[in-house]
Amino acid sequence: MRIPKLLQAVLVLVFVYYGFIVVFDYILGAVIPRSLLTMYMFFATAGVFMVFTFDEQGAHELVAPIKAMVEQPRFRFIRNLVFLIIPIAVGYNVYGRTLPSFEAPVELRTIHPAPPSTAKIYGNRVNLLTLENPFRHTQTDDPELFAEYVAEGAEVYIMNCQYCHGDKLDGKGPFAEGLNPTPLNFQDIGTIAQLQESYLFWRITTGGPGLPQEAAPWISSMPVWQDFLSVDEVWKVILFLYDYTGHEPRSWGEADAGH
Amino acid sequence: MLDIRVLKALALTFFLSFTAGALLAQEGDLDRGEEIYIKRCLQCHGEDGDGLGPAAERLNPPPRDFSLGLYKFVTSGFDADMPNDGDMIRMITDGMPGTAMPGWGDMLSEQDILDVLVYIKYFAELEDEPETQTDFGVQVASSPESIAAGRVLFEENDRCTECHGAEGRGDGIKRLRDDNGDRTWPRNLTKPWTFRASNDPRDIFARISIGIPTTQMPSFADPASNKSLTIEERWNVANYVASLAKTEEVVNPANFVVQGTRAEGALPTTPDDEIWASLKSSTFMMVPQIVGGERFFTTANDTITVRALYDDAKVAIHLEWDDRTKSIPGDAKAASIADAELYEDAVAIQLPREIPTGMEKPYFLMGDGTDPVNLWRWSSGSTDKPESAGIVDAMGIEDQQPRGDSGDFQATGSFLNGTWRVVMTRSLRTSAPETDLQFEEGRFVPISFFAWDGSNSETGTGHSMTTWYWLQLKPAPSMKPIFYGALAGLLMFLVLIWWGAKGAARGRKARDDAA
Ligand code: HEC
Ligand code: HEC
Repeated sequence: MRIPKLLQAVLVLVFVYYGFIVVFDYILGAVIPRSLLTMYMFFATAGVFMVFTFDEQGAHELVAPIKAMVEQPRFRFIRNLVFLIIPIAVGYNVYGRTLPSFEAPVELRTIHPAPPSTAKIYGNRVNLLTLENPFRHTQTDDPELFAEYVAEGAEVYIMNCQYCHGDKLDGKGPFAEGLNPTPLNFQDIGTIAQLQESYLFWRITTGGPGLPQEAAPWISSMPVWQDFLSVDEVWKVILFLYDYTGHEPRSWGEADAGH
Repeated sequence: MLDIRVLKALALTFFLSFTAGALLAQEGDLDRGEEIYIKRCLQCHGEDGDGLGPAAERLNPPPRDFSLGLYKFVTSGFDADMPNDGDMIRMITDGMPGTAMPGWGDMLSEQDILDVLVYIKYFAELEDEPETQTDFGVQVASSPESIAAGRVLFEENDRCTECHGAEGRGDGIKRLRDDNGDRTWPRNLTKPWTFRASNDPRDIFARISIGIPTTQMPSFADPASNKSLTIEERWNVANYVASLAKTEEVVNPANFVVQGTRAEGALPTTPDDEIWASLKSSTFMMVPQIVGGERFFTTANDTITVRALYDDAKVAIHLEWDDRTKSIPGDAKAASIADAELYEDAVAIQLPREIPTGMEKPYFLMGDGTDPVNLWRWSSGSTDKPESAGIVDAMGIEDQQPRGDSGDFQATGSFLNGTWRVVMTRSLRTSAPETDLQFEEGRFVPISFFAWDGSNSETGTGHSMTTWYWLQLKPAPSMKPIFYGALAGLLMFLVLIWWGAKGAARGRKARDDAA
């Protein structure tokens, strides 16, 4: 038996709707906000409508059952039922929407906003596009000195950063749960492994208040480390972050592809 | 230093490989242990295992000194001088909640942990096995009778109340130091998430039986103590302690909102009014202020519970938090318990000057030059002056201007058995909308909290704090939604009737034409 076009369209939409819910709520583990779901469903409905009414024949088939329902007396019962259900559904929906909302506003945020090309750090304007870690070369030139720098970076980290980012660098320090957004997990392949050292330098030295406009809502509690640490300490702690996690900083060549 | 250690290590390896080669393989490898220790543990526990890593000053409790070979959370006998390997393995694997010591089970393999264990035992040259073990007897299952019996023993002779306080909030009025001279605070037994070794009755039983070595928490199995308890009694006390855990006023990570209820009658003006307990509460985690100005890493207050009520004219916000000490400068008793300096206890609510329209809120640490905030502040007073309350205009942590005149803002507090309760009230609307937040029913207002424990020397920029949450004055139920819903339904119905009539007419016409 052939499934009527109208039923096909409805089935596709139901499938898409639950598809979103399954993907977001269960697979990604992040409950999809209502407003976002509404928007997605709007586009999905428009798309389905366009596909199904691509030619006249299709359009015809799609509306045929609806036409029949209002035009033919033998469907009167169904029509009456539909005419009762739709107003009730609309009324209920409006009622639901005018009920006062107790859901806090959703805060969407950019995790790694694009860096500016220059930034004012330690009172000087620095070019973030050319900035490099002055100690990085020791990794190949003088491994012993490098290990010393990493150890110094570890000290800086344990004294200043572990409270939030955790001594395992997993973003689960003892204070982490009291912060919103929660601290970044450096072990994760999606954080420092994707970034250049100059980006880290910029984020560490200027902290939450140094975030650009598009990183709203700007509530990151990341301190402004140029107030507490020296330039060298910041570069050394960056060495430590990569050394401890085993990640490699992103180099300039790869950079053009991303961000 | 390093050389001696390496030599010792070599000697030990040598010795072990000769005397107990098989044992070594099973116990863990000293060299691998050293490697792991240097990478993962040294920053806190120090190069020589003395707990003097660079962050020691900023951690409370400080990292353990392994060179003494004394461990806190053990199951060997109270008179044994070393722990079981299993005790240490457990602490290393699971970590110690409420301290900086993380659980390593998700990063280190079981073998890694055995290796590092050999290494840390070696700092105190711990060998052999503990001579005695704790006798757990037969566990007494928890029951109302057991809990009631436990409560009697808990209070009798001031056995536990002496340190842990009448309701177990750790507010016993004693100044405690551990063997290293570091300040320690008795655990708040109503907050099981701060227990280093869980609040399972079996763990509590172990603590009561052995005590917590190196701290003043004593053993109650030791027959030499005049407060000692039998095995059965200890199980009863353990069941009672487990029953103290808070269930209502705990942090729910999914809740970001304080919901203000519309008051039925007059707004309560005292913090102890019974109505508060009947309202829905929200509890938030507090963390030390380590972001700006003079930082303070070891603040004492870790959660705050908030409730709110409002009527046509005013809003009242109720704050409740556990604080072991009522800090009243000038009071001899308070001074004798306090850490180095004694200041007033204080609390503050932070609100933006106006309800933000976009997503951007003022800087969470007391605003900044472009987005100033209002701080509603209360402090506990000293022997010379009573409690005080007022509004502070802040544009950053270093720029706080207390107002001379705080309008009709009021706050008052009361302290009982290790808990402060403070209620703050203000008009919903004021005559100065440029500087004061104007409340509106139903709108979400950013709100956050600061607290100072004066006995822990917290003052000025040294305090604990929360991040931004929301306050909503929940509108009283009204007929509006029903009215709009019915109207929309009716309109839809009329449209359908019209469409249906036209369709039916078209159908008739088509049939007539066909006929
Ligand atoms: C961020 C700092 C930090 C790091 C890193 C750290 N610890 Fe700890 N550790 C602590 C603190 C703080 C305590 C003390 C807790 C207390 O006294 O209640 C502690 C206590 C301990 C204890 C004592 C448990 C007891 O019952 O007394 C052991 C064992 C221990 N750590 C092992 C390790 C090992 C092994 C590593 C590395 C794999 C490690 N720690 C890394 C902070 C740290
Ligand atoms: C002399 C003071 C003192 C007395 C008396 C005392 N305690 Fe404690 N207790 C402490 C201190 C101090 C700590 C925290 C030790 C630390 O630093 O980890 C503590 C911690 C605890 C803990 C927390 C264990 C964990 O895993 O974190 C429990 C449970 C406890 N005590 C129960 C009791 C019970 C039950 C009694 C009475 C039978 C009692 N205490 C008597 C001082 C005392």
